[in-house]
Amino acid sequence: MLITELKSEEFIRSLVTGKVFIINCHGCMEVSFPEKEADALEKSFAEEGCVTGVVTTDYICNPDHLKLQLERHSAQIDEAEEILVFSCGVGVQTVADLYPKKRVYAACDTIRLPGYQGVTPLENDCGQCGTCYLNLTGGICPITACSKSLVNGQCGGAKNGMCEVDPEMECGWERIYRRLKELGRLDAMRCPTQLHNFATDEATKQCKES
Amino acid sequence: MVNYTKYALKDSAELESLLKDRDQLFVVACNKCFKEYDTHNEPDADTFVNLAQAQGKHITGVTKLDFLCNQCRTEKALKDAIPEGTDHIAVVACGLGIQTVADMGVKPVLAAADSLSYTGYHGMALTSKTCGACAQCYLNLTGGICPIVDCSKSLLNGQCGGAKNGKCEVDPKKDCAWEKIYQRLKDQGRLEEFLAQPVQLRNYSRVGQKEIAAYVSRIRDRRFAGYYGGVHPSERKEITEEIPLQKFPEPEQVIIPLSMHVGKPAVPIVKVGDYVKVGQKIAEQDSFISCCVHASVSGTVTAIEPHTHPNKGPGVMSIVIRSDGKDVLDDSVKPAKPLEELTPDEIVDIVKEKGITGMGGAGFPTYVKLKPNKPIDAVLLNGCECEPVLTADHRVLLEYPDAVIFGLKAIMKAVSAPKGYIVIEDNKPDAVALLQSKVAQIDNIEVRCVRTKYPQGAEKMLIKNVMGRMVPSGGLPADVGAVVDNVSTAKAIADAIRTGMPLVERAVTVSGEHMVHPANLMVRIGTNVQDIIDYCGGVTGDDITIKMGGPMMGFAISDTNVPVIKGSNGIIAVDTRHSEEEECIRCGRCVDVCPMELAPLNFSKYVDEGNAKALLAEHIRDCFECGCCQYICSSRIPLVTKIRKGKVMIREVK
Repeated sequence: MLITELKSEEFIRSLVTGKVFIINCHGCMEVSFPEKEADALEKSFAEEGCVTGVVTTDYICNPDHLKLQLERHSAQIDEAEEILVFSCGVGVQTVADLYPKKRVYAACDTIRLPGYQGVTPLENDCGQCGTCYLNLTGGICPITACSKSLVNGQCGGAKNGMCEVDPEMECGWERIYRRLKELGRLDAMRCPTQLHNFATDEATKQCKES
Repeated sequence: MVNYTKYALKDSAELESLLKDRDQLFVVACNKCFKEYDTHNEPDADTFVNLAQAQGKHITGVTKLDFLCNQCRTEKALKDAIPEGTDHIAVVACGLGIQTVADMGVKPVLAAADSLSYTGYHGMALTSKTCGACAQCYLNLTGGICPIVDCSKSLLNGQCGGAKNGKCEVDPKKDCAWEKIYQRLKDQGRLEEFLAQPVQLRNYSRVGQKEIAAYVSRIRDRRFAGYYGGVHPSERKEITEEIPLQKFPEPEQVIIPLSMHVGKPAVPIVKVGDYVKVGQKIAEQDSFISCCVHASVSGTVTAIEPHTHPNKGPGVMSIVIRSDGKDVLDDSVKPAKPLEELTPDEIVDIVKEKGITGMGGAGFPTYVKLKPNKPIDAVLLNGCECEPVLTADHRVLLEYPDAVIFGLKAIMKAVSAPKGYIVIEDNKPDAVALLQSKVAQIDNIEVRCVRTKYPQGAEKMLIKNVMGRMVPSGGLPADVGAVVDNVSTAKAIADAIRTGMPLVERAVTVSGEHMVHPANLMVRIGTNVQDIIDYCGGVTGDDITIKMGGPMMGFAISDTNVPVIKGSNGIIAVDTRHSEEEECIRCGRCVDVCPMELAPLNFSKYVDEGNAKALLAEHIRDCFECGCCQYICSSRIPLVTKIRKGKVMIREVK
């Protein structure tokens, strides 16, 4: 899940110089795609007569599925000089790969939705850091709950329990302290100094390959 | 298939030190996501249990759950699952799953796994393409090759100069992204354009955590509004929502199936050659769950023979009537006593005699619903019309508000309900306002405006949303003190009482992007669908699908030579959805959207395996086939078809 935001209308207009074919992906971000705004913009392009065809589908990140959706539009795509894609960055790249000879343009910006990996977006966040610290912190993540991702306790800068970086955010380490106290596990804070291992991508790669 | 599983068990040395001085463990493991769905039994939990037992630890229990990060499901599953004597919960999951269990705050939680990092991956189809979600898409400048993730240094203004033989200096296995970009732009003749670009700057402040947090809460708010799950398909109601209902000209011939309802087909009481009048009963109901049928035109019965049915296919016994064009009313069509004088039993009898079935699509005989064996607290009229494209109920609300309210009063009286609700989605503000003004003076009827979300109009969702009650698994609305009927059904009941006219006509939306002249029509039951399509100017395009009903739950028909029946709320011509089934990738979207809080991916798996017992255990019978899972499935698995197959399987086993 991610947020797809329309680029400015002015910018998108600057991309379209000739005949254009439009691909909309409502895929996984079914709840966050700016459907109405994109629709209005596409209608105005169509009125100007520069649109050769429009496909609205989902999951264009799946190349096989994308090919199937585009099959019956091949003439319209040939006719167009540009393909304008309203989707996340993965979708745009999939289209660009399918048509390496065409100018493929992204009409949207993509913003990651942290805390979401599988299902409904959570209030919880996981930085996928590769070294889970939750054992030491009563199940509150210091990587994401602390602005500084400190793993060995508070920085000391919190005021009235609020973070010095973002005064609207509670200090993650105060929350951790509270949770551990409630659980009777303050002893967990006497653990040895923790180090953050930034080199976890290698482990991920091995796991992927195995 | 690439395995994008989000966690790996910590190594044994770390686990051993983690378990030191800790005992009485309950193990909760996540069944993983974004990987091939090859097993129901991910081995990690067992590995952990073996390791713990080798250290002499006591395991109080093990449970393996799907999508542990799904708070709603996880809390429900763990509520009564943790046995007495448990001191710690060991969680085998990614950071999200662990935090979800920790947030329940029941017992101290041990993280037995580490999350794996897949920076840049967020596609659904397990593609190798990655996107850093940097909030400033640069693909327009680079021929569709991403400099953020494909260049090790995320450079935006050309190569660093360190590449050797086209390979990255940071990772020699990787192609230099900027060489690829150069090649692509050269092939497209865009080098000049590229060189003329101003220097690109990356704006790191665009991904504002606060904005995202607000966004997440907005999505959650929508997702959980009223009930769990649901989807928001494109509505496309603007095509017909402002077109008033128009009478479709009386057809020359009608074909009236004897089975337009759930239950046994009706039995004909006329024979070929008989003259029948409008509203005359032509077939009698056959058992408790069945429904009688009436003539929708006056004329001669020309045949009683099998015909193709819009939902059931060929071979359904039907009565064919050739109209004389005179529209002669039957003597039985006369007003009943005023509602105040009718007893509940009399109302039920009228509904039964006038052949009224649910008009929302399923076609359950309405009189059966009006004889609940439990006390009823409220009658809910479904005016949501949550199916995209359809606007027939919307028009009925706008054009027959008094009939709808009258019908509701009659239902309330029949079931002795103290309260009535007319529930309308917020995409129909005109109907909400009109009905609200109409019921302002009525104490016990309320108009409830609910947020638009499919399948809002499903009776269980409606009850959850309006009354906050959950119909138990396998139960009926009456079990929680509710009766749910469609607004068109209420109008039909009003007509039956006020004029004595049986259900012989209904509102039908004829629409879809390929219908030439979309319309809302009042159509006689038994009218030929192709005639209606012709009346609306026919359809455009060759690669289209005609559906009876809405795009989500409607039946695709290959033969348009079928009649309109009591449950036909729409005839739509839409794009054919081409798809090919691929393997499940456990993305969890179906679980995310299932309003009945089921796990459709497991149905698909168990149906393929022929495991009827597991299907029952997963409550497949609670599924009412709304199609949300199939709509959202990233692998295009025909889940509804599989679920129907599964339901047949469990019937055969029993």
